[in-house]
Amino acid sequence: MNFINTFQSEWLKKKRSLASWLVIVGAFFTPSIILMSRIKNADQLSALYVSDDFWQKLWNQTWESMAVFLLPIGIILAAGLITQIEYKNNTWKQLHTTPQRFMTIFFAKFLVILIMLVEVFVLFNIGIYLSAVIPSMLFSNVPYPTAPIPYMDFLNANVNFFLDCLPILALQYLISLQFKNFLVPIGVGFVIWFLGVGMLAWEYSYILPYNHGTIDFLMSSDQFANRKIPPINIQLLAAMYFVVITVASYVLYVTKKEKG
Amino acid sequence: MYCIETVNLIHKFSENETALNCVNLQVIESTIYGFLGQNGAGKTTTLKLILGLLKKQHGEILVFGKPFEKNRVETLRNIGSMIESPSIYGHLTAVENLRILQKVYKCPKRRIQEVLELVGLAQTGNKKANQFSLGMKQRLSIAIALLHNPSLLILDEPTNGLDPNGILEIRELLQNLNQNHGITILISSHLLSEIEKFVMHIGIINQGNLLFQGTLAELVSKRQQNSFIIFETNDDSATLQIINDFGVISRNESGKIAIPILEKETIAAINQKLVENNVEVYQISKIENDLEKIFFDVISE
Repeated sequence: MNFINTFQSEWLKKKRSLASWLVIVGAFFTPSIILMSRIKNADQLSALYVSDDFWQKLWNQTWESMAVFLLPIGIILAAGLITQIEYKNNTWKQLHTTPQRFMTIFFAKFLVILIMLVEVFVLFNIGIYLSAVIPSMLFSNVPYPTAPIPYMDFLNANVNFFLDCLPILALQYLISLQFKNFLVPIGVGFVIWFLGVGMLAWEYSYILPYNHGTIDFLMSSDQFANRKIPPINIQLLAAMYFVVITVASYVLYVTKKEKG
Repeated sequence: MYCIETVNLIHKFSENETALNCVNLQVIESTIYGFLGQNGAGKTTTLKLILGLLKKQHGEILVFGKPFEKNRVETLRNIGSMIESPSIYGHLTAVENLRILQKVYKCPKRRIQEVLELVGLAQTGNKKANQFSLGMKQRLSIAIALLHNPSLLILDEPTNGLDPNGILEIRELLQNLNQNHGITILISSHLLSEIEKFVMHIGIINQGNLLFQGTLAELVSKRQQNSFIIFETNDDSATLQIINDFGVISRNESGKIAIPILEKETIAAINQKLVENNVEVYQISKIENDLEKIFFDVISE
């Protein structure tokens, strides 16, 4: 009960914040670009909409930028923005003098970011669907896609990408809790992400958690053909990283000498 | 019973920087305790330690008679606090700010309106807190501190940024909370004049050392001890001799003769004797130290 109350309290804080807008913008960015491109080229869509692999093509098209770029960057920004709500408003001291266990505060805030990530996934999937059906609603020459939606494949892919993101989320949360300056978690996050992109050709690039989404995407879209398949399940590795980083993050947060 | 008691509280920010040196603060239940000190004296550090915002290094902190560290959550349930500058979410309204805390304290929703009315912010509507003046932000912080009906209020310089009228209103509010609701209040300030009108006990801290702790009456009696009478004449040595003849200890202070406070008949007799001995008396005046001077005397001792 205490945790639910704390979570509700944390959830209220993000109202009208940049973090809450980031969810909407991040989720609909790629589908919007694709939709605009399809509206512009509506006269060439009829063949595409009757093809058997319509949904798979759309899926790969939308997830390419999402898995490689938008999700890692979005998480870096979201984790930073959520903790910045306390730093910017000078409210850590108020929060830490409320009758709540530090563990409750830590995990309630963490859950807010996790749920925001779930929101992004849900809205992104809705965005993908809308980017497919809106052209058929607007243009008479574009039929509703004839191929069935591969629900289970998409659900599995969603779960995998979600798991891939968790270590990034945990690490960014750790850094954001430790540094008052917003630029530190953002800078560190960007540097690791850039490093990851540069290391992609390396056979051990899966070691870096920021690469998991990209590797997962490349593997699922058959673009990994001439590379060495990681010797470990990427999602399992991501889950392990997530647990270890979260524990470390909690210990660092609780043992911080000054709490406000 | 002490509502707050610290025993030999020592805190160092580094090996060479001692912020607090054996501070033994004693705040009696249902009183208003004024915690005085200049900026950087150690007030905020003490309050942060009491509230668990700083990790305790040495000493004991007892709140409501129990060690704070072992009873942190239970103790904080009964404390309302405001440390340094206002802690409010600028992108939210006053009601939304209080709603966040109302969820945590699980107090009735009607308390939000009650405390807003109490601090005069009931009409702020959809205005975001970052559009508030500093005074309004201070009031909202006080409303947050009062939301859950705490039995102890810890306020660090709560009148900073308020205009004289605002200071008066906060003073009346705190007096009312203390007198009618029995709330213990620990309030810090760097201005004695700001809190001397309503506090019952005073602690004076300087460079991490608690130099004075006692009732306001004890501080006032210190004032009387420090008051004296000045004789300004044309002949200091004759004046000293005549005053000594009355058995009064006197001292020459920058060309004037200072003596302790005496009965007015004795002063008149001394004056008469001076005139009889052809000493020209230019001025006889009573010098009283005000509380502010005592405060500075205490911290400069």
